[in-house]
Amino acid sequence: MYRYDEFDHALVSERIAEFTDQVRRRVDGRLTEDQFKPLRLMNGVYLQLHAYMLRVAVPYGTMNSAQLKKLGHIARVYDKGYGHFTTRTNIQYNWPALSDLPAILTELAEVEMHAIQTSGNCIRNVTTDVFAGATDEEIEDPRPWCEIIRQWSTIHPEFSFLPRKFKIAVIASETDRAAIRTHDVGLQIVRGENGETAFRVFVGGGQGRLPHIAQEIAPAVPGRELLAYLTAILRAYNLLGRRDNIHKARIKILVAALGIDAFREEVERQFETLRHEDLRIPDDELARIQAYFAPPPFETLPKHSGPFDRALLADPDFARWSRNNVRRHRAPGYASAIISLKPVGGVPGDMTADQMDVVAKLARRFSFDEVRAAYEQNLVLPHVKLDDLPEVWRTLHAHGLATANADLVTDVIACPGLDYCSLANARSIPVAQALSKRLADLDFQEKLGPIRVNMSGCINACGHHHVGHIGVLGVDRKGEEFYQITVGGSPDEQAALGEIVGKSLPAEDVAPAIERALNRYLAIRHEGERFIDTVRRTGAEPFREAIYEAA
Amino acid sequence: MRLLDPLPETDEPDGAIPGDTPLAEVEAAAVGANRLTIRFGAFRDGRGFSLASILRERGYGGELIAAGDLLPDQARHLKRSGFDAVRLNAGADPAEWRAMLAVIDTVYQPASDVAVPVWHRRAAVETLEQKAARLDARYRDADPETVLAAAHREFPGRIAQLSSFGAEAAVSLHLLAQVDPATPVLFLDTGQHFLQTLSYRDKLTARLGLTNVKIVLPDAAERAGEDPKNDMWRSDPDACCDLRKVRPLGRAAAAYDALITGRKRYQATTRERLAVFEVLDGQVRVNPLANLDADEVEARFDDHDLPAHPLADQATLRSVAGPAPARCGRARMPARAAGPAPTRWSAAFT
Ligand code: SF4
Repeated sequence: MYRYDEFDHALVSERIAEFTDQVRRRVDGRLTEDQFKPLRLMNGVYLQLHAYMLRVAVPYGTMNSAQLKKLGHIARVYDKGYGHFTTRTNIQYNWPALSDLPAILTELAEVEMHAIQTSGNCIRNVTTDVFAGATDEEIEDPRPWCEIIRQWSTIHPEFSFLPRKFKIAVIASETDRAAIRTHDVGLQIVRGENGETAFRVFVGGGQGRLPHIAQEIAPAVPGRELLAYLTAILRAYNLLGRRDNIHKARIKILVAALGIDAFREEVERQFETLRHEDLRIPDDELARIQAYFAPPPFETLPKHSGPFDRALLADPDFARWSRNNVRRHRAPGYASAIISLKPVGGVPGDMTADQMDVVAKLARRFSFDEVRAAYEQNLVLPHVKLDDLPEVWRTLHAHGLATANADLVTDVIACPGLDYCSLANARSIPVAQALSKRLADLDFQEKLGPIRVNMSGCINACGHHHVGHIGVLGVDRKGEEFYQITVGGSPDEQAALGEIVGKSLPAEDVAPAIERALNRYLAIRHEGERFIDTVRRTGAEPFREAIYEAA
Repeated sequence: MRLLDPLPETDEPDGAIPGDTPLAEVEAAAVGANRLTIRFGAFRDGRGFSLASILRERGYGGELIAAGDLLPDQARHLKRSGFDAVRLNAGADPAEWRAMLAVIDTVYQPASDVAVPVWHRRAAVETLEQKAARLDARYRDADPETVLAAAHREFPGRIAQLSSFGAEAAVSLHLLAQVDPATPVLFLDTGQHFLQTLSYRDKLTARLGLTNVKIVLPDAAERAGEDPKNDMWRSDPDACCDLRKVRPLGRAAAAYDALITGRKRYQATTRERLAVFEVLDGQVRVNPLANLDADEVEARFDDHDLPAHPLADQATLRSVAGPAPARCGRARMPARAAGPAPTRWSAAFT
């Protein structure tokens, strides 16, 4: 993975020094909260319901063991012993003291991490396929390009005060595991002319109050032109995006208002006059960055592993976990293991300091020192030998990290909601917990197969409810928490927005209603048909019926 | 970046362009202007950063002033977007602004200022010789366009072309205009050029759209001291060359890391391969035309309909490496090819 050099270190230290000074001025009263706000936002510090919140970037979700260990250390020393992984593959701390922030940032810098641009109207942390570098489906590892975008977008002089935040995701396979069509800009690596790296570019996706699926703006932008093309898109957006209404300020509204063709013309007009040479990443620099992401030295192994096969037979719990949480790997004899942060009755995405230590150790011993954060709020050990999986599982199991529900119905994405978030209408965590308790039976979950349930505490949609196969949205009805249910949403290469099935439900009815919808699916599905395919075939109607059946 | 005092309170319009003005109108206002003020309606509203960046990229060379609701913490963004000055608001603390302006940032991305992006600084860690050798190895067989584009990429803002506007200069300058017409072109005015060369220079500059031709003159004091009677060319041509060419060009060229020449392999006086990137006296020489042969040079004249030098109808002139200063004894130049300093400059010129 990427390692800082003197320049990367210098940039982060400069920002910390500056922010340390600003915090000092805030603490001693020289800065008012109003004046401090834009400055702290540039450094990932929010003011939440109860306290300041610090959001730390995990660039494109890739960490080494020292970094994860440090994240655990910060949770232990400066917070209440846990952290929360977000759908942007960042980690949030909910209880840091303002005066501790400079120390926290300094500690983060020791392991090449920071909180720059995790908030504010700028280009946010780039996300990617959690199995990048491990899957056999990708054309090339997308992470060097993520790193290039990270560097290019960091403290960008022109794009730090955009109409609204800006999110970019990059994938390198047809299968979309990063939900690129829900992003302001989604990039899919394709083979261009002469087999060169090129980017299929989608623009104008977004969730929130007015959700949109991104549309294709260019089929194959050559890699060397990528930054020029992104600059052109951002310029068009910065100049033309709305600033009069925060709910209409994202690029999706601009693209929808102009139409994709007119927007493309705007972008092309900007593209023509750019200084392309300047924005072309030097070949050496690309090679330098790519070298950091060279595949680890995989051993040459047979496809099958005796210890693994024996453990499957010996231990049904291990077998179930392997069935549900282990994914195919490009190297024979290896696999990627999903560490679910969705235990029954737990808070989706939360992880204790001790658990972080445990996973950091596993990563070092069994996964070439690599661990990933998935946007579904889970972690992944990307490169584990099949031989080692039983031991990895035993350790995870001993620390409450072996919930065998990856991509199943209780692998719920949920935002922090009213328990923490100052914008929330309703709590999302207790509703997710109630659902996971009600559907805890793993036999039932396996029978249902892959189903994505997503929950947001308000229309800002941090919990991606629009693109959940089943979505749950907290709404405020006369001061009470209610929940609106959607079905048929999808975040992947067949991205779609869910359809609202009807009027919203009180909290206690949500889990039973979803259970009825799931039973309806079991009753009407064709042989081997996934939930989302059934919804696509039948439409929302059967599910609407089930959800509103007299409870 | 300069800090300007607040304007006195008046109801008069101050001529500033609001940050929400459409780009086309801003561009129209910039035509022929030597000073523009862009007013930020709110510090959160970053349109002004894009307006400034675009004006700079499209060649606006006048003064750019930022005004309106701005935070000192935005000083770096303003500077990097191409602003020259900030108009402070009444009540703003100039000390805070000065403190922010004094900060030297590490920057990743290129912008409209002189800060060198990290990508280029990383490359600069190698010695000049290593860099030239690396580039030469990579581009030794590349076409002129590729070589020149690479040179601009590798030495952004630190590269200039040497030209005498001689017989074959049009080819090399046309190439330059394709890659970046704003690249400085150093033209040595020895005071002894044929008039035709001077008018050809102006014609070619206009025709190719070159925007940054710099006239390099001998130092007047040196000339008065060393060659008061203006007859040194006769008595001591080498000293004359040193006075009128080597020293002035050396001074002018010192501002650059790399100099583009129009040299071609077929003109070389030795059998050695002419490198496309090489180091001479601590500077990189880029020879994008190195691989062209005489026919290809001829073809480029035809393909791009390039005007010929008025004195170039004799085939001889075109094949001579040196410029055509009126009384410098042009016949002598190739013969001097082995001499140290003068060769450097004359051979670099076409
Ligand atoms: S969706 Fe709403 S409630 Fe949930 S985290 Fe986002 S803003 Fe807060």
